[in-house]
Amino acid sequence: MPEDKPAEVLNNGASLGVVVTEITGEADGILSFELRADNDIPLPEWRAGAHIDVILPNGVIRQYSLCGNPDDRNRWRIGVLRKTDGRGGSQYMHEHVAKGDRLRVSRPRNHFGLVEAARYLFVAGGIGITPILPMLDALERRGKSFTLLYGGRSRDTMAFVTELETFGDKVALVPQDEAGLLDIAGYLGRPEAGTVAYVCGPGPLVDAVERHCADWSIGMLHQERFAPKAKPVIEAGAFEVELSQSGKRLYVPPSESLLSVLQDAGCEIDNSCTAGICGTCLVRVLSGDPDHQDDVLSDEERASGEVMLVCVSRSNSDLLVLDL
Amino acid sequence: MVNVRNVRGGDGLASIRDEVDDILESVIENTRQATEDFFESYGENPDPRILSAWIEPRAWREIDYVFLLNEQIRRYGMQFSRKHITLLAKQSFQEAEHYEMVGEVIESLGGTVPKSVPPQAKPWSDFLWDCLERHPLAAIAAWNVSETSASGSFEPTFKAGEKFGFDAVVKVYKKIAIDEKFHVGLGVQILSDYAKTDHDREEILRAMRGMRDLAWKTFTPASVKANI
Repeated sequence: MPEDKPAEVLNNGASLGVVVTEITGEADGILSFELRADNDIPLPEWRAGAHIDVILPNGVIRQYSLCGNPDDRNRWRIGVLRKTDGRGGSQYMHEHVAKGDRLRVSRPRNHFGLVEAARYLFVAGGIGITPILPMLDALERRGKSFTLLYGGRSRDTMAFVTELETFGDKVALVPQDEAGLLDIAGYLGRPEAGTVAYVCGPGPLVDAVERHCADWSIGMLHQERFAPKAKPVIEAGAFEVELSQSGKRLYVPPSESLLSVLQDAGCEIDNSCTAGICGTCLVRVLSGDPDHQDDVLSDEERASGEVMLVCVSRSNSDLLVLDL
Repeated sequence: MVNVRNVRGGDGLASIRDEVDDILESVIENTRQATEDFFESYGENPDPRILSAWIEPRAWREIDYVFLLNEQIRRYGMQFSRKHITLLAKQSFQEAEHYEMVGEVIESLGGTVPKSVPPQAKPWSDFLWDCLERHPLAAIAAWNVSETSASGSFEPTFKAGEKFGFDAVVKVYKKIAIDEKFHVGLGVQILSDYAKTDHDREEILRAMRGMRDLAWKTFTPASVKANI
């Protein structure tokens, strides 16, 4: 799943601590990161098509598809394309995340799971191969019929090619500089009973597949985009807050105080003035960049970024993680 | 922990800050000592009526603050920012809530909620109303000392609550303790923002010194005993 998909407003999955145990160059501009739990507890289960939120140390959240082996509960793998025109998440992953680093991630979620079918047609573009790769593994083990049409700008930019080649002629690699654009119509053809199609990749590719499949029955086409179709969910002045003790993630709209959002979610927080004077709603900040609006914290307390008064203060980062 | 006396505001108190801090520290200590003395004597005869008599002047303080705050806003409010008018009004509402809560506790102990100023609270009340007449900041300065003094009573009260099992009193005092932080912080901010002249500061100090000598006296064992 693409990194520029906006953070879904609320993810109720608990967050986990993981360690980066391996970083591998998979293609030009694409790294894979192997993640293991930072304790001895097996990682949560997931199925092909699932993704996780990665909460970067700078407070930014990005979504990445899991592209390893779902049966291996000891390690996860994600693939990250470095995007110079993105919002900085992939650049951070490429430039600042190193082997041995600890990251916080969500539990896996899956909006792109495999459905039961007699035959599967996959179309992937660029980094869109990541959720599809474990799908192919799963279907291969089950002896299912499938094919993949995988496009990229050039062969050097196409990730996981060696693994894909193990599927033989079920997989067609189409580097654009050698073979031109993907022949969507020729590949997908007419809808056939028992056949489903999956597409993941950049917006124009998904659009092209959607146009081709416009008259297919509902449920025959499954798609996942790199970028949101609509405008981003996060409004100006809004931010997300994660409660570290429960893993709840909450959306704070621009017109509502963080205190009121927390109270609505069931948090019991002392408060009195709701004006940043009394200091009774002090909360510890575990990550993110608080935007202090109070009248009582000292300069040192503000600069530390470790505490905030949730009645009036907000966030400079997309995400705040609070010790609640 | 946040120190509300460090609230951001103007520099109106800067030149008298040391004396202001001394007054506030001494009134906290005097109130703490008076409260500990009261509960020591209460332990000799833990009669709910005695506890009620100890709380009754506090009930009057709460409702008198409502009257004072509203008069403060009516008389001087237009000299303050809208934010400060709103926050003074919020403080007034919270004082009314405290009167309600403390009143319920008094009734549960078999006491009577005061509807006029109790004799032991009269010097305190008279002094505050006199301050209100004298200067726009004087009453705020006086009740800032009185509100600050309360922080000296909370810990001994909570300890005594555990010892003698008066949970309802402790619950109410814990709520009041939270709001007192706001009231103290707001008072310091207003005094810092609006004190501009030496005369303003003289009136603030006069009010604070006067309240320092009054705030704790109604909570001593002798005061309680004299009014049972």
